[in-house]
Amino acid sequence: PGHRRASGELGAAAAPRYEVVVIGGGHAGTEAAAAAARGGARTLLLTHRIGTIGEMSCNPSFGGIGKGHLLREVDALDGLCGRVCDRSGVHYKVLNRCKGPAVWGLRAQIDRGLYKENMQKEILSTPLLTVREASVEDLLLTEPEPGRPGKCQVTGVVLGDGSTVCAGSVILTTGTFLRGMIHIGLETHPAGRLGDQPAIGLALTLEKLGFAMGRLKTGTPPRLAKDTIDFSGLEERAADIPPVPFSFLSEAVWIKPEDQLSCYLTRTSLKAQEIIRDNLHLNNHVRETTRGPRYCPSLESKVLRFPDREHQVWLEPEGLESNVIYPQGMSMTLPPELQEQVIKTVPGLEKAKMLQPGYGVQYDFLDPRQLTASLESRLVQHLFLAGQINGTTGYEEAAAQGVIAGINACLRVQGKPPFTVSRTEGYVGVLIDDLTTLGTSEPYRMFTSRVEFRMSLRPDNADARLTLRGFEEAGCVSQQRYEQAVKMRAALDEGIATLKSLQFSISKWSQLLPGVPISSSRRSPASAFDILQYRDVNLEILAKAVPEPLGKLAQWRELAERLKIEAAYEWCVVSQQQEMAEVRHDEALELPDDLDYFAIDASLSAEVREKLDAHRPQTIGAVSRIPGITPAAIVNLLRFVKTNHRKTEKLKAVPQTGECFPGKMYSGKATSQRQISAEFSEEEKKFVKTSS
Amino acid sequence: MALSGIVRAARGRWARPLSCAVPPVGTGDRGHRGHTGVRVYTGHTGDRGHTGVPGIPGDGGHTGVRGHTGHTGDRGHTGATGDRGGPGHTGHTGAPGVAGVAGHTDVPGVPSAPGAPGVPGVPSAPGVPGVAGDTIFALSSAPGRCGVAVIRASGPGSQGALRSLAGPPGLPPPRLLALRSIRDPRTAETLDRGLVVWFPGPHSFTGEDCAELHVHGGPAVISGVLGALGRLPGLRPAEPGEFSLRAFRRGKLDLTAAEGLRDLIGAETEAQRRQALRQLRGELGALYGTWSRALTQALAHIEALIDFSEDDGLGEAVLPRALGAVRALEREIRAHLRDGRRGERLRAGVRAVIAGPPNAGKSSLLNLLCRRPAAIVSPVAGTTRDVLEVPLDIGGFPLLLSDTAGLRDPRDPLEREGVTRARDRLCQADLVLAVLDVTSVSPTPGSLGAALAALQPPPDTPCVLVLNKADLLGGQGVSPSATCAQGHPVTLLSCKTGQGLEALLELLGQQLAQLCGNPLLGSPSLTQTRHSRHLEACATALSRFGDIIGDTGDISGDLAVAAEQLRVARRELGRITGSVGADDILDVIFRDFCVGK
Repeated sequence: PGHRRASGELGAAAAPRYEVVVIGGGHAGTEAAAAAARGGARTLLLTHRIGTIGEMSCNPSFGGIGKGHLLREVDALDGLCGRVCDRSGVHYKVLNRCKGPAVWGLRAQIDRGLYKENMQKEILSTPLLTVREASVEDLLLTEPEPGRPGKCQVTGVVLGDGSTVCAGSVILTTGTFLRGMIHIGLETHPAGRLGDQPAIGLALTLEKLGFAMGRLKTGTPPRLAKDTIDFSGLEERAADIPPVPFSFLSEAVWIKPEDQLSCYLTRTSLKAQEIIRDNLHLNNHVRETTRGPRYCPSLESKVLRFPDREHQVWLEPEGLESNVIYPQGMSMTLPPELQEQVIKTVPGLEKAKMLQPGYGVQYDFLDPRQLTASLESRLVQHLFLAGQINGTTGYEEAAAQGVIAGINACLRVQGKPPFTVSRTEGYVGVLIDDLTTLGTSEPYRMFTSRVEFRMSLRPDNADARLTLRGFEEAGCVSQQRYEQAVKMRAALDEGIATLKSLQFSISKWSQLLPGVPISSSRRSPASAFDILQYRDVNLEILAKAVPEPLGKLAQWRELAERLKIEAAYEWCVVSQQQEMAEVRHDEALELPDDLDYFAIDASLSAEVREKLDAHRPQTIGAVSRIPGITPAAIVNLLRFVKTNHRKTEKLKAVPQTGECFPGKMYSGKATSQRQISAEFSEEEKKFVKTSS
Repeated sequence: MALSGIVRAARGRWARPLSCAVPPVGTGDRGHRGHTGVRVYTGHTGDRGHTGVPGIPGDGGHTGVRGHTGHTGDRGHTGATGDRGGPGHTGHTGAPGVAGVAGHTDVPGVPSAPGAPGVPGVPSAPGVPGVAGDTIFALSSAPGRCGVAVIRASGPGSQGALRSLAGPPGLPPPRLLALRSIRDPRTAETLDRGLVVWFPGPHSFTGEDCAELHVHGGPAVISGVLGALGRLPGLRPAEPGEFSLRAFRRGKLDLTAAEGLRDLIGAETEAQRRQALRQLRGELGALYGTWSRALTQALAHIEALIDFSEDDGLGEAVLPRALGAVRALEREIRAHLRDGRRGERLRAGVRAVIAGPPNAGKSSLLNLLCRRPAAIVSPVAGTTRDVLEVPLDIGGFPLLLSDTAGLRDPRDPLEREGVTRARDRLCQADLVLAVLDVTSVSPTPGSLGAALAALQPPPDTPCVLVLNKADLLGGQGVSPSATCAQGHPVTLLSCKTGQGLEALLELLGQQLAQLCGNPLLGSPSLTQTRHSRHLEACATALSRFGDIIGDTGDISGDLAVAAEQLRVARRELGRITGSVGADDILDVIFRDFCVGK
């Protein structure tokens, strides 16, 4: 489709108008649409099929280590998925229980059907949010706003039927649908997800606009019929009792603790390895060079990289009533009949019936370095991108980006400053900063090891970190949640003050708590807060020893647990504070968006200029995280920017005309394509070329 | 140098630039209205021209490029050496000294982390370049012997540091030079007499509170002052480029500098980086590299335990193996640090203390060794009451020789103080020259040993027994035992006639060579305070990891907290070897384990 501008000739005057239009109804799209609507924007969610809103395309679970952190942060910003999970889970489990609350991984097996149903209920009942079934073929574009980067601005979308919808901001959350291609064995066919059409027109549009694109792959395992599996010899893993809810708003989850389902563990044998090895020639997906995730590897790649060993397979229920089992760890792209053979080699699955084969998906993603920290494109103003289109994997990663994109699309229309989360504030900040600064060459997944301030950014305190800001700056948090967070914060502050003011000598503490080995080398007197740091001490024990004033703190269970965690991490958090201030300081030193690194008159090497141009860092903090940038280059750059700031400002104020006409419009393409290719291996360069 | 009272620190008016290749930067106080409205920093701390020209306002060294201009005997402060470009966990240290801040010579350049300056994942150490918070110090004039050395401190602790070292009578008025005795607050020992300046923030080079000590440029004085600063709570040696970085952060380095300056500084920083790289390419670099890899692997394995706890691809042995690696690494670093002290002494000078009973001729020995009457000598016992320190060069080795009061139990309170200081100094000695009156001891190993023991030298410290007054033996060939009972060498000397001096010098040369380590041979030894500081912090963090994990190898504590210690350790090491990012950690994880499902 050719480019159409909202110049009136298409009858845009008659077109419906929304403040925010969201394309895609997956985990990023639903969060984005709901967040924009919560923020007060009249929002339209466009999806191929309303029935697929809230679809969990891959694993039937939410959360995990690092991902649970993201979920909590989404919830702290009043996002949907935490609440929906609390109403749809069938098996709740906190991972890493014994490794410290900073790295607890809230996780749950989710009933797919319930999740979809509950999510659709949420979405369809969100005020200001309209949902419409339509495919999007093109974007409406116009001249850019002066003074901001971007060669044009989006003003709406063109639907499959040729009609248009006008929009203040557009959010793209197309997941794996951009030229999605499904691989099973040697067969390939275009699809975003098994049974769903890919988005091809949109991919073409984005490519023509000059977006640097890459290709990634992912996969999903076959599905098995539960009643054909013999669980008797398998290791059972029961859920937590009581289950821990995801949402700060949930007192408890919907399911009775004892009604939860179990997961079962089994392992592949060497027989499976043999089948896989013998049939590699029938396996296009594995042979292809497009980057797949190293941490969610297919069984084929596990066998190839770590041969001659067993690989674990978790058998996970897909729902309370469902007869489907998801064999986590058996992602395969072999031809279906061979997949069946592999399955039958696994203990417990000897007679298992395969309901649906595993498959691989290859899809386009847009180099996320073309985005700002608010997830707005730097190429096309008012266009936001979230989710897998930015090179991530995982529901939680998608949802977290969705919330941020939704908030910012709304703020952008309202003319308010963007809402960004710093690396010092949340996992979502780390996620977006990593993506927008460094880009990615494989599907990006959240890990706690990516997070510098892991001791401070914990699941327990996500509300303290984000809810207040979300309410005050983004307007995306309900009054009720805000009040609850404020109340909790006040209670924590007061509780800590009470604990700190309660001081006894070490010998007195030893007397009060005979069961606790209190080190006599401790500084005396010690406060109750100090004593609470001991592993064997909790508020209940303290309150028994000193009922007044601690009794009332212990009664509020959630508060008592959070106080315990605060005490345990206090010293770590304090020692990180200065450094956090430093990172925040560097993040606040913003670079002009439109710097031409090749042209600027600063003492920078050609290599550094190329890196800066490829990464387009937005702040000095981001510059410092680009590999290969020397300290000298940073200072030279800073100096240039500071001395030229005024000049730059003046230049920007000059109205720019003709910026978005085709000749100019696509001028950036060659450069950006070259940049991303340079990041890829030889084969992928080819891939990028052939795909474009 | 004629330094007297308070002299007006020249400021506000600026001399013409020297014929440096560097154009002036800023225009003094008026430069404060730099065109972006941010202050130009040059106004205050460049006031170096105090030497010999007291009280000439508006003069002296204000070339705007911080060149030392008036220093007598100052050889070649280049004016634009720039802070050493260094790596930085956040990649932003190593800000080159924009206007030619003289290089911080106690923090010789460490190479920029090649390829990975400050990647996330491994956050910087607490207490390294801070926005506020801690206080940094460094020698900011050029390295080597020079007439005047400038030691600068920046940060909230500068004021306290100035009070501790150069008080009383309290802080001098802001931005005015004051002549003060500079003392080590711990020992009350006077390190030097010099000029001090107090620059309350924001009117200072960095924008923070700053203090400068302008002291005589001898290595002993400099290391004494740096050492004293380093022992103050909250003070630490500056990272490369940290002064400039702080200045930058406070908007002090907003330079409308000409082209040449930028290029010059860029080149300078690069040259420093290359030089530092070469330095680390040697044996020392290889050693650090080995540690870096070992630590990265241990950290990655612990991170894997956290991020992939559900996977069975990790195996049981991961934690005990990591613990073993961490413990081994800690031992190695600590052993290296012990070894490394030899290298450090090479820079600072071996501290030798002359000790002995009163009137044995200790001050005479000092005068003999330094070939001048540095100390007052008299036949009266107890003449020397304070510690007198003289830097010497013996056989090419730097030596800080201290003469002390005779060790006895004096009645005179003044002398008693002298004895206290003598004992204090003796405890810090690297080498003891025990002076005995040859006529007062029998020359057998046993009685020599007893006489030495009576002086209570610090344990495990090398001693040389000097039997003075050999001239009094009158031609009688008393040949004392070559060593005392403790095995320390004994030599016969007459301070009066110089008889035995050569033998003593040879003996001293041997001792010094041993203490300093031969710089041309042997294993790489530490020569940089900064390195050892980071290594020390690294080892401390490693040991905390061990404490948390416990001996059992299972997790007796919070694994996240334990991992944090390894991250701190990794960061400290990274400040020498270049940092390691989250992706490097993930690479190790996916290389070593079959994780993910």
